[in-house]
This record gives sequence, structure tokens and C-alpha cells, in this order.
Amino acid sequence: MRLFLAMAWRNVWRHRRRSVLTVMTIALGLAFNIFMRALGDGFHEQMVDNSVRAHIGHIQIHRAGYHDDPAITKTLPELDKIRSAIDALPGVRGASLRVLGDGLASSAENSAGVSIIGVDPEREPTVTTIHRAVVRGRYLERGRRKPCLIGERLAKTLQVDVGDSLVLLVQGADGSMGGEKYRVDGVFRSGAPELDRGVVYLLAEDAQELFVLPGRFTEAVILLDSSRRVDEAARILEEQLAGVEAEVLPWYVVEPYIQQFIELDDAFFYVIVLILFIVISVGILNTILMSVFERVREFGVMMSLGMKPRQVVRLVVMEAFLLGAVGVVFGGLLGSALTLYFEAVGMDFGAWAEGAAALGLTTTVTYPKLTAANLILSNSSVLLVVVLVALYPALHAARLEPVEAMRHV
Amino acid sequence: MSEREVLVEVSGVSKTYRDHVAVHALRDVSFTLDRGEFAAVVGPSGSGKTTLLNVIGALDVPDAGVIRIAGHELTATPRDQLADFRLRRLGFVFQAYNLFPVLTVLENLEFVAVLQGVKPADRRRRARELLEAVGLAELADKRPAELSGGEQQRVAVLRAIMTEPDLVLADEPTANLDSENAAILLDMMEQMNREKGITFLFSTHDPRVMERARKLIRLRDGRVE
Repeated sequence: MRLFLAMAWRNVWRHRRRSVLTVMTIALGLAFNIFMRALGDGFHEQMVDNSVRAHIGHIQIHRAGYHDDPAITKTLPELDKIRSAIDALPGVRGASLRVLGDGLASSAENSAGVSIIGVDPEREPTVTTIHRAVVRGRYLERGRRKPCLIGERLAKTLQVDVGDSLVLLVQGADGSMGGEKYRVDGVFRSGAPELDRGVVYLLAEDAQELFVLPGRFTEAVILLDSSRRVDEAARILEEQLAGVEAEVLPWYVVEPYIQQFIELDDAFFYVIVLILFIVISVGILNTILMSVFERVREFGVMMSLGMKPRQVVRLVVMEAFLLGAVGVVFGGLLGSALTLYFEAVGMDFGAWAEGAAALGLTTTVTYPKLTAANLILSNSSVLLVVVLVALYPALHAARLEPVEAMRHV
Repeated sequence: MSEREVLVEVSGVSKTYRDHVAVHALRDVSFTLDRGEFAAVVGPSGSGKTTLLNVIGALDVPDAGVIRIAGHELTATPRDQLADFRLRRLGFVFQAYNLFPVLTVLENLEFVAVLQGVKPADRRRRARELLEAVGLAELADKRPAELSGGEQQRVAVLRAIMTEPDLVLADEPTANLDSENAAILLDMMEQMNREKGITFLFSTHDPRVMERARKLIRLRDGRVE
């Protein structure tokens, strides 16, 4: 076997220039594949992280059925049990309770339909980054009279700014219509369009009063220390809250469009990879076919001496595998180095800022993320393609008739 | 006097190639070859020498007739088993040497032994012994391109006998060699035949080979004369 390995290795380098070109094709294709996959992974992770940190958190808990059919009356049941379950959950970075409802925000100049979110101003920053998104004025503080925080686009629509008043008109949990005047304490720019143009943050107790929900909350939101633990944490919470009429929802159920976008983006990526692999395959096929056609006589001699067709297949495939392996080593190193560089410095897609904002990104700088799965999958798929492509010339060589092959010039 | 043992039995063998016209390469050829023979199939170009060696060497299948080697009937052996028969029972020497250019001399000798599954240490020792026996030990690590034609053909003969086959078939082995190298090669094959009892069958129209052969099978137009 070692002799055949040596033979295969030396055969690979019989036409050095041709093999070097093939190795470069494989290496560049693989490096591109690794980098694009890492860029996609980094982009997706950033997108998820931005959405999670902007508002939705990793996990949300509601009264059962709220997600499919939200209603002001569907408040969290058995709050003590829910609080205990969250406290007992490992890996929690932060948690907060919210009051949610819809209403009409009116200023002296204009009005707009809004989502109203009542938050605990001390707990909310442990989950979301909304406090850091304030561009004018201040974040919500207890002790100030009826403060509110609104998005920059909403402020523009209502033509209000810090210090101005606006009125929120809502239907309370008891069915009554109610209205209250609030003072704009701060204006934020989150980068998430739906927050910036349609959300008013209040103190939780003010929202409870507005919606006639004394001591009640609509939503518990949890931020974990790693997005990889979401499913496990959701399962633990479901077990802890068995018997409580509550629903535990991971972020991808709350905002399925993010997951759908990632899947669609992956599908596009696979199309690119497919095209790339076809190009690589043609290069490898060309090299191996030429190598086989140049050695027809040699294969004839081998088979005359007693080499079996399956051993001929093995030799040709081994040659292709070695060629691929060299390409994988160089491509893997090049792809990893390129990815690690941009993982450190980031890639600025400033020219596409509008599109980035629409996808929930608060920054135009994307950081590729190199993962072991990416390296393993990219390298092994290239090697697999190389071996599969080599089968055709290998079978061609194995089907040669020794006598005819030896007459080949 | 030692007892004769028939090693090769060719009986009524015919072979016709049909391309645009039918070419009768072999017509009802019959002969026997004893173990330990140093024999040559001779005849002019196109007489069927190479075809005869090919069918005896299990590289081609006759249209009619029976070929037995060491009691094994080739004509009744399935095609896929013929490779194994060649590997275990036959050795081949070709006119154009046909050593593998990417392997060293030592590795070329080892090639067939690897196919047979001989252990690395055993096949290396045997290859070195053979090279030393014919004074080519210093060529062990050279590639064929670094050897003269005569040296290449001598290595090719050693490759053919490396696994001690029943029969070595040599197709025009001296055709590309000058007189001196042809003589050296024939000396070496005679030495192998004499000392190790290896049976040789050549195809040739080289008088230098005919002179040395102890048995001649004369072919003309595909028939034994």
C-alpha cells in the first residue's frame, strides 16, 4: 500500500505545472468557500444578536396563546413561579418583565399608531440595548413624572422632541377607553425600523395604570449568555413551568422571519457553492483525464502484470485525493487566514447601510466567524467532490484491455 | 535423466481479428512446452508470434482451442480471474521494457510482489538479492530514466521473475538492444533458466535469440510449421 501511495504521489507531480494549477484552483475555491461561509455565519449571528439585543431577547414567556393572538387581557399567570423558574435557570445574563399594548400616540401636530412597552428601567438594560440607543434626552428614570421614550422616526412623524408632550390613547383591559399625557424624556435610534418608527417606552407602572392592569405583566424576556443555549434553556423552562398556563418561545419563534432569512441566505450560498464546485470539478476532471490518457500504456502494463481493475481505480482515485488534499491544505490555510483577519478588523458594508438596517443590523460592519463546522464541512466536501470526479477517469482506466492499452502510443 | 513435465499445452488454438477484414492471426496451433524450457516462437512479422504469446499470457482469448498452463485451463477461466492467474503464475518482459518511470528500480521489482500481498521486508530482501545476483545492486535507487536500455531490460527481466512464476513470456526482448546488451540479457536469462529452472518462452525474429533457444516453434501465417 505504501508503494502505491508513493506511486500515486509521484504521479501527481509528473506534470508539475498542471498539478500546481489544479491545486491553486482547488485552494482558491476552498478559501472562497470558507470565507463566504464564515461571512454568512458572522452576518447571521450578528443579525440574530442585534434583534435579540434590540428587543426580543433569547426567550420570551407569555400567557399561553398570546403569541398567536395577542390581547391586552392575556397577562402572565402565576408570576412568582415564572420568576422562580427564571432565577433557577443557569446561564441567564438578564431578565425583565414588560407590559405590552397598542394605542394611538398624538401630538399637537400629528398622530400615529404605536406599540406601547412598559418596562422596568433598571431590569430592561440587562436584556436589551435600548438605553444605549438614546440619541437625545435621557433614558427612562423612576421618580420623573410620566416619562416616555420614543424612536427618532416616530418623533419626526409626531413632530415632537425632548421636553414635548404626547398623548397615548388606548383601550384598557377592562374595555374602557383611556388616555394619558406623557412627557418625551428621550429619543432613541435603535437601527431597527419597527422600533424607531412605532414604539413608545413607558415605565412599567405607568403602562399598567394606562392599560388598567395593576400589578400585571404581559411578557417576561430573558437574555442568555450564549445563543447556543436557547433550545436547552427553553426546554428547562417548559419543564419548570409545567402546569402553568404559559408559553415559552425561543427568539426564532418570536421573529421567524430572521430564521427564514438565514435559511434563504443559506440557500443562495449553496447555489454559489454548487457553481464553485462545478468549476473546481471541471478543472480536476481535466487534470485527471489528461493524466489517465497520457498513461494508457502504463495502465496496460500494470494490468498485464496482474493489477486488477479495482486496484487501478484505487490508484487513480488516490492520485486525485492527494491532489485534492494538497489543495485543501493550502485552501484551508488561506481561507482561515483571510477569515481570521477580517474577523479581527471587520468588513464595512457602509454602502449598503439602508439594506442592513432593514435586516435589523445596527452597524454596517460585519465580522466573519470561522467555525470548526465550516472548516470540516468545506474541506471534506471539496475532498469528496475531488474523489467523485476522479471516479470517471478511474473507471475509464480500469476498463482498458491490457493488450490494446499496451499498443497505445 | 530428469522426468519431463509438460508446463504449457496449446491445442488447436485459433484467433481471428475482425476489423474491416478478417485477419487469421492463429490457425489451429498446437504444441507443448516442458517445465524448464528455454524456447522461442519465431517467424516473420505478422506470423502471429505476439498473438500467440498474448493468448498464452492470458492477455487475449482465443476463438477456438485449449490452453493449459501447469494444468490450469486458461480457456475455461472466467475473464475476471485471468488477472489473478497472470499475477500468480506468469511473468512478462516487453520489447519496450515498460518499467514504471515514477518508481525506482527496487520499487519496480517490488511492484508485482505488492500486488501479491508479499510482506514489505520479504519483497525488499528478494528484490535486493536478485539485483545483487546479476550485479545491478548499485542501480537499486535509480529511476528507469537514469538507466541505459540494456539495464532497463535486465531490470524488466528481474521484475518478471521476482515472484517466481511458472512461465516468463518475453515479447521481442532484444529488439531494442545492441549486440553487447542483447548478449548480456540472454546470458542473464539463461542463468535464471539454468540455476532457478525458470521456463522462458520468447517471441522473436532475432537470430541472437534463436541461437540460444533450445526449442524453436516456427510460425508462418498463423500456423506452426
